[in-house]
Amino acid sequence: MRGVGRTGPLGESASSRTDVDGRSSERHHWIALSLVPGIGPATFWQLIERYGSATEAWRAGPDALIPLTRVAPEAPVAFMQLHGQRPRVMAERVESRTTAAGGRVVTALDTGYPKALLTLDPRPPTLYVVGDDAAFDERAVAIVGTRRASGYGLSVATEIGHDLAEAGVVIVSGLALGIDGAAHRAAVEAGGRSIAVLPSPIDRIYPPRHRALAKRLVSENGALVSEIATGGSVGRPDFARRNRLIAGLAEAVVVVEAPDRSGALLTAAAAVAIGREVHAVPGPITAMASRGCNRLVADQQAAIVTSSAGLLRQIGLAGGARPPAARALSEVEGQLLNRLLERSGSLEELVDRTRQQPSSVASALSLLEARGLVSSFGGATFHPTLAARRLTKVV
Amino acid sequence: MLATALSASIAGVDGVPVRVEVDVAFGLPGLTIVGLAGSAVLEARERVRAAVRNSEFVVPDRRITVNLAPADLPKEGTGHDLAIAIAILVASGQLDGDRLPGTALIGELALDGGLRPVPGVLALVAAARVAGARSIIVPAGNAPEAAATTDVAVHPADSLRAVVRHLAGVEPLVAVGPPGPTTDDGEPRLDAPDLGSVVGHRVARRVLEIAVAGRHNLALSGPPGVGKTLLARAAAGLLPRLEDDEADEVRRIHSVAGLGERPTGSLHRPFRAPHHTISTQALVGGGPRIRPGEASLAHRGALLLDETLQFRTDALDALRGPLDSGRVTIARVDGVRALPARFMLVAAYNPCPCGWAGVDGHVCGCEDGTRRRYQARLSGPMRDRLDLHVPLAPVATGMRGLREPSAEVARRVGAAWERQRCRQGRANSELDADVLDARHGFEPRLLALLERRGRQLGLSLRRLHRAARVARTIADLEGSSDVTRDHLDEALLHRPKEAVA
Repeated sequence: MRGVGRTGPLGESASSRTDVDGRSSERHHWIALSLVPGIGPATFWQLIERYGSATEAWRAGPDALIPLTRVAPEAPVAFMQLHGQRPRVMAERVESRTTAAGGRVVTALDTGYPKALLTLDPRPPTLYVVGDDAAFDERAVAIVGTRRASGYGLSVATEIGHDLAEAGVVIVSGLALGIDGAAHRAAVEAGGRSIAVLPSPIDRIYPPRHRALAKRLVSENGALVSEIATGGSVGRPDFARRNRLIAGLAEAVVVVEAPDRSGALLTAAAAVAIGREVHAVPGPITAMASRGCNRLVADQQAAIVTSSAGLLRQIGLAGGARPPAARALSEVEGQLLNRLLERSGSLEELVDRTRQQPSSVASALSLLEARGLVSSFGGATFHPTLAARRLTKVV
Repeated sequence: MLATALSASIAGVDGVPVRVEVDVAFGLPGLTIVGLAGSAVLEARERVRAAVRNSEFVVPDRRITVNLAPADLPKEGTGHDLAIAIAILVASGQLDGDRLPGTALIGELALDGGLRPVPGVLALVAAARVAGARSIIVPAGNAPEAAATTDVAVHPADSLRAVVRHLAGVEPLVAVGPPGPTTDDGEPRLDAPDLGSVVGHRVARRVLEIAVAGRHNLALSGPPGVGKTLLARAAAGLLPRLEDDEADEVRRIHSVAGLGERPTGSLHRPFRAPHHTISTQALVGGGPRIRPGEASLAHRGALLLDETLQFRTDALDALRGPLDSGRVTIARVDGVRALPARFMLVAAYNPCPCGWAGVDGHVCGCEDGTRRRYQARLSGPMRDRLDLHVPLAPVATGMRGLREPSAEVARRVGAAWERQRCRQGRANSELDADVLDARHGFEPRLLALLERRGRQLGLSLRRLHRAARVARTIADLEGSSDVTRDHLDEALLHRPKEAVA
């Protein structure tokens, strides 16, 4: 099981070997390895798996790639070209470039590595981050959509961004024009935090029009994050990587508006592939801009969003104060929830089952409803929601 | 010659003093009645002529003009007959008018001179009292009703002759005293089933208690036979007694409506349950003479609409006004009249035509369109004015039930009413929105929670305020001066929700 702090082949903790001591440390090797063009996360982790550490993998050189599967064709040649350099030099160079750009390098070995990505498989070995670490510790939801957004899409993105941010959720998006931008803006306007995942290095904000927005995100306790090394040669923006990382950082992805073949749909697909919830905002069937979202719902790839409040409930958010992942329920409430998880029931049945007073069952049930853990869907029977089921599966 | 007698007329549910002026002059013989007299009043000409003649008096062969003042107030009904006849006798010198001032005369005349009862006598007597009458002569048939009035002497009479003899000082009429102190303390209502006979439905009992305790509008829904009507009618047995001033008000309204059979001294709150075929006018009042409707008859009590969705839609809509303001406002060409109608609404209905929509374990057999049309009959605005809703389900066999009798619940309800009266002089359901303050037990933290719940549950401000008032009632039932989050949460749980899809 890959994870931060896994022990190396000699049994010592990888993170303990990040100190510079004149020779290249594991962390230097780690960064150097991830800098090799063609060695993406999948290849990287295969190497670690085989060789036990980045140091060993580096030492093995390009030949190490031979037994691996699905290696990019440019990788062996690139590795060979870079193999002559010393990892420490490579790492320090990219780190100084990153620091000059106002950021820092965060590897999977470091404690500051976003915890959300631990469930992403394979996760990026090295990230370049600007801004507040703490932004990665909160609950995060991604809001994505088309660059050519309509007024409807922008207003919905703004509303959802605002409401989620008010509920203490960090908004993750791709800093793109259109929906992404609206979501980021709404988050900071609401006094919340936002993380922008860039398809480019952190010293080259893409799109250029959103440079000011990116600065603002950072100054409002948010963060910018990229998988692409700072100071690298100018290449095309890597949207695929970015979309996958967006999905990885969030617990749920909300697609606000997307025509057919929109990149936002790829983010949704990435989310589905890594087990994140996808929600889609429908639009008129005559609107080209909504075809993608409508299709997601029709194909049952996404849960339909019919209101911002409804979305919050689906995600299991208590509006208002920033809630921790699982706010404590009182004993009465917990018992009641357990009963409903066993079998849905009406208030009358619950009173009978629990042998409590109607007033106390009613107030406990009401609290569960307000927290989005149960819903009656307008009828008399109360059912636990998705949020409740997730709550009880927390390890 | 001129003579004046005092009488009264009904306007809405109130009595209005009327001065009957009679002028006997030379000229073409005839009897003319003026003063916006309605058709029944105009017919008094014939009745008075015959009654006077058959009482062995004479209607003079002169030009007789009768004016009912104030002349711009429409006069209805037959209650002025007696006053007209007496004034004619006095104006024609057949009766000495010395004892007339300070005496009001009310009653319809039969052709043989007998005195017939009229509806609304309580209101008429009250009006006469306001006009300064110290003694009132009423038909004997109205005596029981009129006797409830205090501080004025009520003299029942059965004929014109008897009245004349009384006014002449020859044979005074016996005054009836006010009845003794109210006698039906603690007498159980005959129209209310006892909650002790209801099996199960613990939640419904609780919500019923809350509803009556704060006079909140309640809806009971569920499949046929589940017990909606039983529970709804049981509410009657939980209503506390009327206060004295309320009792007077209620008696007056019922008297005007011609329901004089309400036993004098009854302190039972009205519980009206009209059939769903009732017309809008009969429900809220109106008509050419602006008679009070069921809504006014339920004033200070409760109005049950059994099979709510079978009522005419405009009848239901007409209830929105009284539900908001406690009054039925009827606009006419000559002005706006308001009838009192402050009641607690109890609605009982099936969720859909087959009755099984939304009941766990059952499938609704109705077509989508049929169901939706049926549910739309309870319009959004009406639903908005409901405070509490209990969806009822068939009681499972073997369900344990407290089977608490109505008397116990009524005791708690009575205590809660008392607290409301002491704190604010009205029921919680009558409080305005700006009463969510510390004086009424709403601390800032609770108000913040209220706001948060509004966002969490997506509730309108109006719905939130209603829930807050219900929470205040729950707190009163518990005897707590502060409203706590438990109270609020329970209130929110029982809120009416959108119709079952």
